[in-house]
Amino acid sequence: MQKHDVLVVGAGLAGQRAALEAVRAGRSVGVLSKLHPLRSHSAAAQGGINASLGPQDSPKDHIFDTVKGSDYLADQDAVEILCNDAGPTVIEMEHFGTIFNRAPDGSLDRRAFGGASYNRTIFSADRTGLALLQGLYEELSREKRIHVFEEWTAIDIVARQGVVQGVVALDRKSGAIEGFSARAVVVATGPFGRMYPNTTNSHASTGDGTALAYRAGAFLKDMEMVQFHPTCLPGSWILITEGARGEGGILKNGKGERFMTRYAPNKLELASRDVVSRAIATEVKEGRGFPDGTCHLELMHLGKEKITTKLQEIVEFCRNFAGIDPVVEAIPVYPGQHYMMGGVSTNPRAETNITGLYAAGEAACVSVHGANRLGANSLLETLVYGKIAGANAATYAAKAPESGLTQADVDLATKKLHVIWDRKQGESPAKIRQDLQKVMKENVGIYRTPEELLTAQKKVAELKGRYANVYVQDKSTTYNVNLTDALELGYLLDLAECIVAAAILRTESRGAHVRLDFPKRDDANWLKHILVQASPAGPKLSFLPVTVTSYQPMERHY
Amino acid sequence: MKVAYYPGCVAQESGKELDLATRAVAPRLGIELQDFPSFSCCGSGFIDESNYALNTALNARNLAIAEKAGLATVMTVCSTCQGMLKLAKRNLAENKVLRARADKVLAQIGMEYRGTVEPKHMLQLIVEDLGGAEKLRPLVKRPLKGLKVGAFYGCHILRPHDTMNFEDPEDPHSFEDVIRALGAEPVDYRGRVMCCGFPIQFVRPKTGQKLAGKQILDAKRNGANAMATPCPLCHISLDTYQKEAGREVGDDLQMPVFHFPQLVGLALGMDPIALGVKRHLVDTSSALEKLGTVGVPA
Amino acid sequence: MVRVPIEVFRGGAGTPNRFDKFELELEEHTPILTALLKIRDEIDPTLAARYSCRQAICGSCAVRVNGKSRLACVTQVGPELAKRGKLRIEPMGNQPVLRDLVVDQKPFWDRYHRIEPYLIPDPAHPMPVGKENPMSPEQVAQFQETPRCIACASCFSACPALDSDPDFLGPMALAKLFRFVVDPRDGAFHQRLETVQNQSLWLCLRCNLCVEACPKDVRPAERIVDLKWMANQEIGKREPGSKHSIGFAENIQEGGLLNERRLAMDSLGLIGTLGQLPKAITMMRHGRSIKKHPPIQGREQLDVIYNAMSGREDLQHRPMSGEGGVRGKAPTPPPAAASPPPATATTTAAAKPRPSGETKEAHP
Repeated sequence: MQKHDVLVVGAGLAGQRAALEAVRAGRSVGVLSKLHPLRSHSAAAQGGINASLGPQDSPKDHIFDTVKGSDYLADQDAVEILCNDAGPTVIEMEHFGTIFNRAPDGSLDRRAFGGASYNRTIFSADRTGLALLQGLYEELSREKRIHVFEEWTAIDIVARQGVVQGVVALDRKSGAIEGFSARAVVVATGPFGRMYPNTTNSHASTGDGTALAYRAGAFLKDMEMVQFHPTCLPGSWILITEGARGEGGILKNGKGERFMTRYAPNKLELASRDVVSRAIATEVKEGRGFPDGTCHLELMHLGKEKITTKLQEIVEFCRNFAGIDPVVEAIPVYPGQHYMMGGVSTNPRAETNITGLYAAGEAACVSVHGANRLGANSLLETLVYGKIAGANAATYAAKAPESGLTQADVDLATKKLHVIWDRKQGESPAKIRQDLQKVMKENVGIYRTPEELLTAQKKVAELKGRYANVYVQDKSTTYNVNLTDALELGYLLDLAECIVAAAILRTESRGAHVRLDFPKRDDANWLKHILVQASPAGPKLSFLPVTVTSYQPMERHY
Repeated sequence: MKVAYYPGCVAQESGKELDLATRAVAPRLGIELQDFPSFSCCGSGFIDESNYALNTALNARNLAIAEKAGLATVMTVCSTCQGMLKLAKRNLAENKVLRARADKVLAQIGMEYRGTVEPKHMLQLIVEDLGGAEKLRPLVKRPLKGLKVGAFYGCHILRPHDTMNFEDPEDPHSFEDVIRALGAEPVDYRGRVMCCGFPIQFVRPKTGQKLAGKQILDAKRNGANAMATPCPLCHISLDTYQKEAGREVGDDLQMPVFHFPQLVGLALGMDPIALGVKRHLVDTSSALEKLGTVGVPA
Repeated sequence: MVRVPIEVFRGGAGTPNRFDKFELELEEHTPILTALLKIRDEIDPTLAARYSCRQAICGSCAVRVNGKSRLACVTQVGPELAKRGKLRIEPMGNQPVLRDLVVDQKPFWDRYHRIEPYLIPDPAHPMPVGKENPMSPEQVAQFQETPRCIACASCFSACPALDSDPDFLGPMALAKLFRFVVDPRDGAFHQRLETVQNQSLWLCLRCNLCVEACPKDVRPAERIVDLKWMANQEIGKREPGSKHSIGFAENIQEGGLLNERRLAMDSLGLIGTLGQLPKAITMMRHGRSIKKHPPIQGREQLDVIYNAMSGREDLQHRPMSGEGGVRGKAPTPPPAAASPPPATATTTAAAKPRPSGETKEAHP
């Protein structure tokens, strides 16, 4: 049994930032991660991180843009914290050693991004997530007191009477199962886009912590809000950063029209992501796409110098995954699942409804993104709320009673795991996962209808039934991917069920959630969050009011 | 084809047999060698480590000498010389600050670098300018039948590929093509593109020798009864220090190692002694006997 | 679609080593990772492999493909198959196999942590409170591309020096060290070079296999040459490696071609050279006496070149990128901005490029 004051599950930007804050507050800290920290999905973030550091810009503008981008579903008190802390956060990361691009005067360079009134996206070429992850990991590496458990998969979060006790985890390298007793636990396991086949997310993005928190009794929030990024490479679903449009890239349909003039006459390609994604999907649906069902992102006019220095990774993605040279050719793009606005519901202190359980980053939902996240706000959220989660977890843990995680808890989790692992026959996790992905792609996409959502509900329930018979053929204790695949599939199924349930309930269109049967936003009835809690009868839905401080809902124009 | 012949330091002194063989073989292949007693050392990679600007300027001078004589090609017989001349060319093309400094100092000594000359190793010249390995076949008088040759490329003729612009930097085949054309059988082994250990012979000799030993052993285990290399520095590691290398890997290697032009010369029917095989430290007679020519005891 | 035969290494974790053969129908441009996942999903779910992002950014999936260290997610089956007629997938080198394609990366990460991979602040130049350290694009251009390294260990796997000498830090750790050495925010320039000089800087063979294995064009071997060069400039002749490379340059100035006898003396010293005597005697028996070359024609020209190209000021120009650098990829610095700081003999601050704004005025 391992024992810490604060245990962080997940070691991407949010998890590492939480761990750093907690250890510097004097607590003993453990970090569990199923990947080496430098392999986290944070590394895949490309375009940048928002902070209103420009001369005309202000946190207030940033707040307004974020709230507007969220289609007014964001909690404005949480957004205020996010945007007010943005500048100090970015500067802190610079001091930690992050290598950002510079303007000629030596300050941090800024680029344009979707839905932003000013150029406020600080960047490191088109690998900002990677640069931040390295900068933060370097800072974390000073802290010899932090114990990082690399390549451990969490299999249970234990809570009793509404108080967290710790985590049970599986060592992927040895197959050992161990208890991690902790006074406070921070969930920072990132996204769960792998329930879609057309996702930009990494294979590891299976929502482990979010699902385990849900099973432990935590509320999830805004689960119906699934962001589709407008520009992905179809097939591989590799992301082409919004920074490509921020640097001046334009979108064209099959007739050569710059169609964004019709959808967002002012912001054009730099409207918010929900708007641009719908525009592309509409063009293709109405027959104005290219024969392969895409629209084109053109960068050629930017010139080789700009493309190969500021969009260097994009050049390689295009070459490796589409056989295209964006310096001379247009890039075929289509929207793909990219980001989950939903997650473990927290307040602006990163607290969940379970005492001692905190959450941050994409695994959580504060909610600062509401119904649609603005580009370059997610990296910011991981750091701002990762730090808040770490600080509050540390403060709480300093005076919290000793954790009551027992060997019986570990034994119980072990037993549940072995029910799956020891099964002699059944269905492979791969097959069930592929079917789940098909259901989500076909029925829970950019445009939603009640028929499709109900179909999805029925099919996900069926898949959960099949999952009860999932079969792990691999019996090895060493790096058993077959076993972790099966566990991760279980997490995805639970979360998919929540997404579908919330999407059925929300009978309006807001941000990323577009119901063809309710095409308008309905502030009178729906200016509220949907909460989901686990119950024996399945997801139990309830509501939470949206916190409005400065900005009353208005119609959005870009 | 007339080329500026850049023998490099080793071929002019401790590895003279390489120069002997080159001068013997070149005319038979239609290569006319022009000597330039003003050529300096290429820096061997070591001057690059102590002063890269100096290294670049020294080689700018070497290239300018050939350019002044109106020649388009500098022919090297050493992978390292080839690597350094090409590296200088890259630096002078890509680094404008450095180019300006080099231009300035060359002007001071009455010279000019224009970038018109191309350094090519003899192997590369055969493949790219003389019609390819197959063109050697009709010239062969003594097919190297029975020789199973492990080609050992030497890193700098291949890598970095975007500096050398020769062939696949980890999976080349030009040398094997030549070996085949000469009537011998090339041996496929991973060590052929690895390092001979020469660069650290002076820093940590045992590690350098271990590297050499591993590559020779790899060739041997894959059936080689001889090796050949286009690099005299590799030859030092593989031949001169073979005994020590063998000690490091626990094998009495006994592997004859030929210089590239020696191998060509043997196939062209030349006298092994004229090709300088007697200067090797490892006895080559086991290989030469297979060719029906006189063994030369070491 | 083509028929693709794939041999995959299986073993480790107490099972005997073997190669399993699979045949798949694939497009030629299919990444090897996709092929492996297809095997996992459709044929054998027990195949152990490490992977995550499938877009060359997480660095998880490096393996050896026909002996070459490669990231599985960006290496396509077609070209490799065409070249070798087979696809043999093995775990990375220089790290013990855990199981199948998964290696224990401890040797890799241990070396990474040995270089103190974090900024070591310079007490004389504290970070500005509440604002960023100003750095010009030209200064950042020196290491702008260093975050491209995704720690995939392809270089580590390919490195023959590591394979023969466990003291070596390896390409990734040294390339990472370069990132800190040239970062003006780091205050340990001299100390870092001092430390690495004593460690294993000189064990790099310059074979450039790491440059070819790297999927992100980090070019570790070239960064290591940068480090050697900086160590030579900063510390001078101390280790056999620096004695050798500095001595080599002096040697060439003398006559234009290498004086092999002097080289042995410079690098190994008298004792070391005496140790080479038996070898020298053997060589002489084979007619290989080492004589001194007569000087080359125009030897005096070398003095002009040596004088013009010597001096410390290149410290700023050497590192990667920019017109002032070797690679010529990053934004180009205006000549004025790239002009070097005054070269004084010993202080770290002078030896190292400092941020343009990092002056007394900026930090009262």
